[in-house]
Amino acid sequence: MSNKGKSFWTETIKTFKLIARNKVGLLGLILVTALVLLSFVGPLLVPPETQAHTDRINKPPSAEHVLGTDFQGRDNLIMVIHGGRDVLLVAFTAGILTTLISVAVGSVSAFFGGRMDSMLMTVTDIWLAIPRFLLLVVLATLIELENIWMLAIFLAIFGWPALARQIRSQVLSLKKREYVEAAQLLDLGAAHIILKEMLPNMMNYIMIALITSMTTAIYSQTGLVFLGVVPFGNNWGVMFSLAYAKNAIYNPNAAASLLAPMGAIILFQLSLVMFSRSLEEIFNPRLRTGV
Amino acid sequence: MSAITSVSPPAKPATLRDHLERITSNFWLRTVAQKIFIVWVVVTVTFFLIRALPGNPIEIFVMTLMDAGMSEEEARTTAASLMRIDLDAPLSAQYVDYMGNLLKGDLGDSYVLSRGKAVNEIVFQRLPWTMFSVGTSLLISFVLGMFLGMLAAYKRNSWIDHLLTNLGAAINSIPNTLVALILVLLLGVTWKLVPLNLMRGSLSPGVEPGFTLEFLLDLFKHYAVPGTVYVLSTLGGWMLAMRSSTSSTLGEDYVTVARARGLSDMRIITAYVGRNASLPLVTGLAISLGFVVGGSILIEKIFVYQGVGLLLSQAIAKRDYPIMQGILLVTTITVILSTALADMLYGWLDPRIRIAGGGGVNHVK
Amino acid sequence: MSKSTNQQTSKSSPPTLSVRNLVIEYQAKRGAVRAGRDISFNLQRGEAVALIGESGSGKTTAGLGIVRLLPENAQIKQGQIIYRRLENGRVTETDVRALNDRQLRQFRWKECAMVFQAALNAFNPVLRISAQFGDTARAHNYLRGRKLKERALHLFDLVRLDPERVWRSYPHELSGGMRQRVLIALGLLLEPQLLILDEPTTALDILTQRNIIDMLKDLRKTLDFSLIFISHDLSLAVELADRVATMYAGRIVELCDVYTTFKNPAHPYTIGLINAVPTLTAHKDRVTSIPGSPPDLIDLPPGCKFHPRCPLADERCRTEEPGMENPTPNHQAACWKWQSARESLAGGWEL
Repeated sequence: MSNKGKSFWTETIKTFKLIARNKVGLLGLILVTALVLLSFVGPLLVPPETQAHTDRINKPPSAEHVLGTDFQGRDNLIMVIHGGRDVLLVAFTAGILTTLISVAVGSVSAFFGGRMDSMLMTVTDIWLAIPRFLLLVVLATLIELENIWMLAIFLAIFGWPALARQIRSQVLSLKKREYVEAAQLLDLGAAHIILKEMLPNMMNYIMIALITSMTTAIYSQTGLVFLGVVPFGNNWGVMFSLAYAKNAIYNPNAAASLLAPMGAIILFQLSLVMFSRSLEEIFNPRLRTGV
Repeated sequence: MSAITSVSPPAKPATLRDHLERITSNFWLRTVAQKIFIVWVVVTVTFFLIRALPGNPIEIFVMTLMDAGMSEEEARTTAASLMRIDLDAPLSAQYVDYMGNLLKGDLGDSYVLSRGKAVNEIVFQRLPWTMFSVGTSLLISFVLGMFLGMLAAYKRNSWIDHLLTNLGAAINSIPNTLVALILVLLLGVTWKLVPLNLMRGSLSPGVEPGFTLEFLLDLFKHYAVPGTVYVLSTLGGWMLAMRSSTSSTLGEDYVTVARARGLSDMRIITAYVGRNASLPLVTGLAISLGFVVGGSILIEKIFVYQGVGLLLSQAIAKRDYPIMQGILLVTTITVILSTALADMLYGWLDPRIRIAGGGGVNHVK
Repeated sequence: MSKSTNQQTSKSSPPTLSVRNLVIEYQAKRGAVRAGRDISFNLQRGEAVALIGESGSGKTTAGLGIVRLLPENAQIKQGQIIYRRLENGRVTETDVRALNDRQLRQFRWKECAMVFQAALNAFNPVLRISAQFGDTARAHNYLRGRKLKERALHLFDLVRLDPERVWRSYPHELSGGMRQRVLIALGLLLEPQLLILDEPTTALDILTQRNIIDMLKDLRKTLDFSLIFISHDLSLAVELADRVATMYAGRIVELCDVYTTFKNPAHPYTIGLINAVPTLTAHKDRVTSIPGSPPDLIDLPPGCKFHPRCPLADERCRTEEPGMENPTPNHQAACWKWQSARESLAGGWEL
């Protein structure tokens, strides 16, 4: 019934091989890994820019400063290396939290059905009906978000409803499968059934859901930072908002300080999306080309 | 046939339960009732939010006023009256006042941006602009997305399909802020295709709103780039969703049978594939409304488009709470209304949902 | 809607359908799937022929091929499909493979209607039955409005459905059996001269099956059409067919009238099939199945395709594919051993 007996490693290796078959997905995975390394290992190797260098404000890319300098003369490349950590951390944390909450709510709701289901779904619907970003923005001004962890939790609180509904439909369809009925007859207990029987069979769905929530988190994060309602730091989002505020758009020399962080964000998003497409193809064999 | 005729029970008076059942079993009534309930919840939650959060906005405003030299009492009275609340009354009475005011359409007065001016005046003056820009873009994006999605699905795995899918997924993953910045950069600065002043503001100075050609032309010129941003950032989603939906519909038996019946391709594409494939998208339409209205804050800020979004970002910058609350309420209610409309549209399009609450043909085998 | 005494296959008028050497292939990653190899048969006016075979025998492919509704990765490689329409004493011949798209659309459903199995999902869920009848009629410039409704209601009567109710309903409001009957009624709408039923009773419960079979028998008496029905169920053949064509690995291996099929089959496969059907009176030891499974259509064995499962197979069977032998003029069997098959296998599959 459940997936015991298969070694974790053989499964992982098999999965990697499948991922490698899809070139786009493989590229996505490589890029994600590269960006993760850049953002977490990079800062350990490259010292941060802490002071302004007024003698090299807004210089375009050159041999010395590969990505140019910003409005305070700081080297953009160094800033990009250091700027990823916050963004990625928020994305991962918010993504994981959102997925956890929505899986919990969705599966419990679908599994137990009845009144609990209607109650939970009504709550979810209410949440869904409210324009999410608007609420995020307004609340962000009311609640002072002090650090990235609070931001992540904040994003997760508002992100779970959409996902919960989808998880619920998945669980509902799984519920009708025989092995679940068998487990119920054997009186194995709700927790066991949900955790050991259903979730492993939904892993693919959950993985894709995780990536989707990560991309949503990045979307929201970018917007919130741009509006200035989120605490500062020196991450990619802050970089380009500051550059924009200093009118870098109209200054060709400064364009790099706008494009570099934007490019980093877009690259990360794209690689996540590419990776998730290969996951989709793996888990839905009908999408694979050929008979 | 039984020879015994049944005796019908005496009629019972209609109870509350019966009324509730009537409402829940009729699809249309049920949708409306649900939405009213949600509006009520949102309104109530907003009420408590503003009052009960740490860093209570009212307190903050009082501080600000006091810093400017007002006495505490004066500050409190001013703050209270601007937000139409009575700080000394019990919470429940405040709530009743609040609901009463709302039903009258009174959302309080602005704190900062135009102190003393009624919030609903300010907001409603900006609302048409946002609704126009967001609404038009949504329409364009939806229709274009549906068309492209169907095209991609019909030409599955051809070069067109691959192009559309990859392009769509790529553009879709770029946050709309960045799309806007890229467009401004490319169109305005690098290639100099669009004069920069067309990308600021919703109207050129001196042009009066009205049904004149001058106004309409100007309106569209200013709408062009921000509108393109809206469309680009949402098009990918619609296209991909329609593509997957159409793909599965194309595999359905009734499509093959329709071909076997000799129906024309046009008829099959519209009434058989199109209608069924677009069903899941209609629910998506409702949800995306929330998204776009929210996203308009960022776009309007970049293009200085005089809509509700810009107003909100200005209010946020200046911590003008009555306006923030007013916008939140108005936008939420608008979105909920459109969601209700979308649900009803779905019910009209898909008869299986309509009939769900009982009824149906007796199954005589 | 004219009555006709069509139980005797009329040799006087030319056959409604002539299929000659039909070859149909699917493209799969591994290679070409030869789902139809040299299928040939004639369907006389007013006759009912059953195409019987296991899954993968090519029976459904043959049916789809006749109306050219094969999926994208399939092709008719060779062969001839001639349809003859009899109207007012005159016969018009149509080469089905030569039809262009527009002609094909007109041909489908009006001349030849193919009713699929699992009618559960055969109707557009968002349109009423009336609208779907309207669609079909409009596409063929047939009756409209009140006249169409009258005809449809009449057909519903014939298929034993409650006319008014069904006309107004949506597909999901009808049960599976009802939908199957509506589909059959729709099939008869345009008065086709050729009706193809693919597994008309599979996936239905036994009572509904009975109903539909009886209804089909009545229809054959009241209306004038030729019928091909495709099934794996031999008992259907007994009820409805005049002749039975047994298919195996993409080819017709035996073709004869229904009594001969059951009393005097010549091909070992048919014999095996008959023996596999339990009857009320036969001893339980007499019921056998045919061991083994159908061949891989991409990689077919040489010689007779049935030889791996056939107890009578000899060297010739293994190397040379049999042509059509004729035990009697109206009986065809593709087997080298047909003369001795019946006797040898009389005692069961083990020799």
